[in-house]
Amino acid sequence: MKLNTKNVVSGLLTPVALLALLAAYPAFARDPYSKAELADMDKQLLEVVNHGRDLWHGSMASMSTNGLACGNCHPDAAASNPTTFPKFQADLGRVAPMRDMINWCIQVPQQGTALDVNGPDMVAMEAYAMYMYRGKPIEPGLQTKQTAPVVVKSGRGFPYKGSGIGYDK
Amino acid sequence: MTDFDKMSRRDFFTITGKAGLATLAASAVGVNLGMVQVAEAAVGKGSVTPFRFAILTDAHLFSMDNHKFDAQMADAVDKVMSMKPLPDFVVYCGDIAQNGKDDQLRKGMKILSKLTMPIHYIPGEHDWYLDMGAAWRGHFGSPTWSFDHKGVHFIGMNSILVRDFWTKAGLSAEERMGVMEMLESPIAGPWGVREEQLDWLKKDVKNLKPDTPVVVFTHSPLWDYYPRWNFQTEDAPEIREILKKFERVMAFHGHVHQTVYNKIGNMGSVGTLSTSWPWPYPDVKLAYPNMQMYRSDPANFTDGEGAQHIDLESNFSGVMQYEPFGDMLTPAMKNGFKI
Repeated sequence: MKLNTKNVVSGLLTPVALLALLAAYPAFARDPYSKAELADMDKQLLEVVNHGRDLWHGSMASMSTNGLACGNCHPDAAASNPTTFPKFQADLGRVAPMRDMINWCIQVPQQGTALDVNGPDMVAMEAYAMYMYRGKPIEPGLQTKQTAPVVVKSGRGFPYKGSGIGYDK
Repeated sequence: MTDFDKMSRRDFFTITGKAGLATLAASAVGVNLGMVQVAEAAVGKGSVTPFRFAILTDAHLFSMDNHKFDAQMADAVDKVMSMKPLPDFVVYCGDIAQNGKDDQLRKGMKILSKLTMPIHYIPGEHDWYLDMGAAWRGHFGSPTWSFDHKGVHFIGMNSILVRDFWTKAGLSAEERMGVMEMLESPIAGPWGVREEQLDWLKKDVKNLKPDTPVVVFTHSPLWDYYPRWNFQTEDAPEIREILKKFERVMAFHGHVHQTVYNKIGNMGSVGTLSTSWPWPYPDVKLAYPNMQMYRSDPANFTDGEGAQHIDLESNFSGVMQYEPFGDMLTPAMKNGFKI
């Protein structure tokens, strides 16, 4: 569809055509962010991802009473299947988002206290799992096979300044 | 029963050890291997007297009372005691404890005490890095051993030795243990058996004839499965080189908490079920993909876990049978498979 931007300005375009315009030109609405802005946004995301990684590996005592952490069964978030949600979750008996399954795992296998589903810790948990699955296909629905995160050779699996201890450099 | 020798194998040499990798000389500070004296007597040429042995592994016991892992380990012990025929002995392939604590090891010993046959132990990283194996060795002796049984030479080695990352960093024993507890820790680096045990292995098999049946146990696999999670042993290529003179070597390992099989040269390598939880399969193309168990149900705490036994026949072929708690075996494994 060839669009005449003059029509947009003059208000002659119908609402339907306007929606089509926005869909066809996603960058039309706003100029690109500056490099500094993008870097800051990435930094903030990775800080949340790192917090999620720590929670995933037992940094919050209330999430477990039997010593188990998410990382016990899901190293590098493997088989947590974040790209398959929302889906029907047999253990919950309904279609559920990932955060509900995270709380199920905290409360049942780990015998811990659930996170606030809308709180920053839950956001961090999801951010970590999704970041480890970056680039993987989104396939909502019941999966009969486990999914795998990105292959990680070293480090935490995401950009992070290491501790300098051992191989974490 | 599945016979892999008669199957059309995929290019399993795509999943081999690290080509040309030399073992770096570095052993963990403070580690006293305390190896068993190498037996000089060679196993003579001749057939194997058929028998069965069993493997239990990876209980990951916590210190709290009545933890679900206690019951799961006890269930696996019951499975062994209900085997017909009973195994001649059991090998425990490491990680009795979760945090390396003596009370966890003692709890495991108490549960295992129901076994009426001899038990041979090798350590896992969860048993070792709180006190560098002091408690473990106090209970079970040397982690490096060999013995002969009914015509077969059995070898056990400690494959979880890492380079010292803790001394310079000033980490406490608990911090060191915490690093090692995390499967995907970026700090500890790769595990291995290191030079001292390699030297021991050379001496141990020096006088054995090539037709000697050899079975080796380690906590981690003797091939590069997924190094990120230490589903590997750094000096496995050197181990395979030492053992390559034998017509056939069977290798069994813990750590992976799953069914998996691979074959490199003369060595067939078999992973074992834990009694704690199943690890997911990493994104690796396996030479024998039909050896992957079904995905476990997270609501069933014992799914994907269990015990296993191996029946060795007179010609030193072996039949591996996983004994899971639940129904999680694919048809290729259901009725055992030849290794």
